[in-house]
Amino acid sequence: MITIKNLHASIGDKAILKGINLEVKAGEVHAIMGPNGSGKSTLSSVLAGNENYEITDGSVDFLGEDLLELSTEERAREGIFLAFQYPIEIPGVSNMNFLRTAINETRDARGEEPIPAKEFLAKVKEKSALVELDGSLLKRYVNEGFSGGEKKRNEIFQMAMLEPKLAILDETDSGLDIDALKIVSHGVNKLKSKDNATIVITHYQRLLDHIVPDFVHVLYKGQIVKSGGKELALELEEKGYDWIKEEVNA
Amino acid sequence: MTTTVANNKVEEFISNIASENLLCWEKFSEERKIAKNILKGLDFPTTRNEYWKYSRVSKISKINYSFNNQSDLDLDLSSVRIDNLDTYEIVFVNGFISLKNSKLPASDQLEVITLRDSKTDEYDSCFSKNLDSITNIFSALNTAYFTDGVLIKAIGKVDKPIHIINYSTGENVISQPRNMFVSTSNSELTIIKSAINKETTGFFQNSVNEFFLEKNSKLDFYVLQDYEQGMNVMTTNVVNQERDSRFSAYNYTIKGDWIRNNTNVFVNGENCETNLFGAYQPTEKEHIDNHTIVDHLAAHCESNEHYKGTIGDKATGVFNGKVFVRKDSQKINAFQSNNNILLSDEATMNSKPELEIYADDVKCSHGSTTGQLDEEAIFYLQSRGLSKKSATALLIGAFLGEVVEKIELPELKEKVLALYGME
Repeated sequence: MITIKNLHASIGDKAILKGINLEVKAGEVHAIMGPNGSGKSTLSSVLAGNENYEITDGSVDFLGEDLLELSTEERAREGIFLAFQYPIEIPGVSNMNFLRTAINETRDARGEEPIPAKEFLAKVKEKSALVELDGSLLKRYVNEGFSGGEKKRNEIFQMAMLEPKLAILDETDSGLDIDALKIVSHGVNKLKSKDNATIVITHYQRLLDHIVPDFVHVLYKGQIVKSGGKELALELEEKGYDWIKEEVNA
Repeated sequence: MTTTVANNKVEEFISNIASENLLCWEKFSEERKIAKNILKGLDFPTTRNEYWKYSRVSKISKINYSFNNQSDLDLDLSSVRIDNLDTYEIVFVNGFISLKNSKLPASDQLEVITLRDSKTDEYDSCFSKNLDSITNIFSALNTAYFTDGVLIKAIGKVDKPIHIINYSTGENVISQPRNMFVSTSNSELTIIKSAINKETTGFFQNSVNEFFLEKNSKLDFYVLQDYEQGMNVMTTNVVNQERDSRFSAYNYTIKGDWIRNNTNVFVNGENCETNLFGAYQPTEKEHIDNHTIVDHLAAHCESNEHYKGTIGDKATGVFNGKVFVRKDSQKINAFQSNNNILLSDEATMNSKPELEIYADDVKCSHGSTTGQLDEEAIFYLQSRGLSKKSATALLIGAFLGEVVEKIELPELKEKVLALYGME
């Protein structure tokens, strides 16, 4: 589905990604772990098309297209979804109005008719139940005054509504208590199919108890320095990141 | 040579319009005479004058204007009518009342008197009260040479809004409507003011509206400014509030080459509420200036003011809001806020909130912000599939929408939202 080759990215003069190589196939769940400052969030931002980062080298192929040539909204319409670590509050824009616009612009780009109101509402009802998102939050302004858990559930709700091919979850577990973590993970697992893929970015192993990865990669100093199965996450949980750092620095 | 007249600019300005024979009613002759005398001692303000610092009037003062009575024109007013909202209509063409185009109120709750038919005792108590026609040349000009106007008096709760429509057309025309609105004790009145201009070049509209809210009355004043090219607009609203009254002004500027709105509220009685809301979105080289004064002359009152604007291209926005709380006006809650978003590097906003408090037991706040659109929010919306254009429109709509949401008539709110391009 997505093939990242030798990806380099920097912000200002500072190089952050220094040659990422990663391939994710349909039906797979990949976890990217790593210590703070290793470039995890940069990778997700770059894949979503954040213009604050400059791509200095490498390529990203997404379903046969050169992803780096596409604008942020084109990537979204092609099926990339980024669940933000810190979802943005947008006062004055209602959740529903925003989602309807997002869905209809995506449909329009695909040459489809706007979603019928009835179908939209039915879908909202179904998908919000998936993450136990209260109906009153849907009518409120995007993320404004939401608790940390509500913001993260709103991200997964949006993901469910937009039905992406590749979902990138950026530290979705941060700021979540165990109940919210279960709800969010349940939502993500329900959305999993053989046709889509998920990249889970996390600092801790605990999310991976609920969203079980097929592959685990360790990102350090802007490179993937170690890859393995789900047991690698357990090893990291137990031993921390120091042994990896030592291996790399040796 | 000692023949040079000190203020020849003003004399030249009025020499054209003063020769016209359109305004020689018996009524108001004394008031006009006084104002004409005052004009002899006045000059057009320069930007050295603090009150006019950011709004140059030279482009207005240098034109040779004439009056142009076109009140017998057949007009198409459909563009300013409000869907599903029945209103009375009073139509002015170039500042002259057009009876044939108006739907004058027929209600026990309301008296509408044209100024030309009004009696001295009907207008004497309110005409020019608190209007600064001593130092403000544009107010003096209106008093000396106002073209036409109405005196509207609400007796009870008026059943429909009164829609005042100013239609402007022609080249180098000056239009000076003058209206008075009186809400008598326990009455309720809603005024909506709209404008249409067709084929205007160097047109100058200099209007004065005077409001008198007697005790326990409510008056809502909605202004929609959506002008095509060729109009320079100066509006002066003076409001007098007696005790237990509620005045709300809503000023929505959609388009206009050059607009200056002055709204001055004198709160004379206790337990009053004053609301001033406004939105503006100048683009290209437009210039939109809102000046307000709220003068708390009595205790136990509340005022809320919120103006918001987006400024694009090479446009300029100006906001100046003054709140006075006089010495014995205790227990005042006065809030004032002005927020702006600059949409281009060449856009300019001059914002000056001012608060002068002479009482010691009051709650007042004022603030002004000028910033840019939130890039992170735009990225967030784009990451969900919205184009940059619609993400920007959504954010601007949300920003200005806050003051549009204040509109208490749902039908009118819908119209204003549509004028601003919000869904």
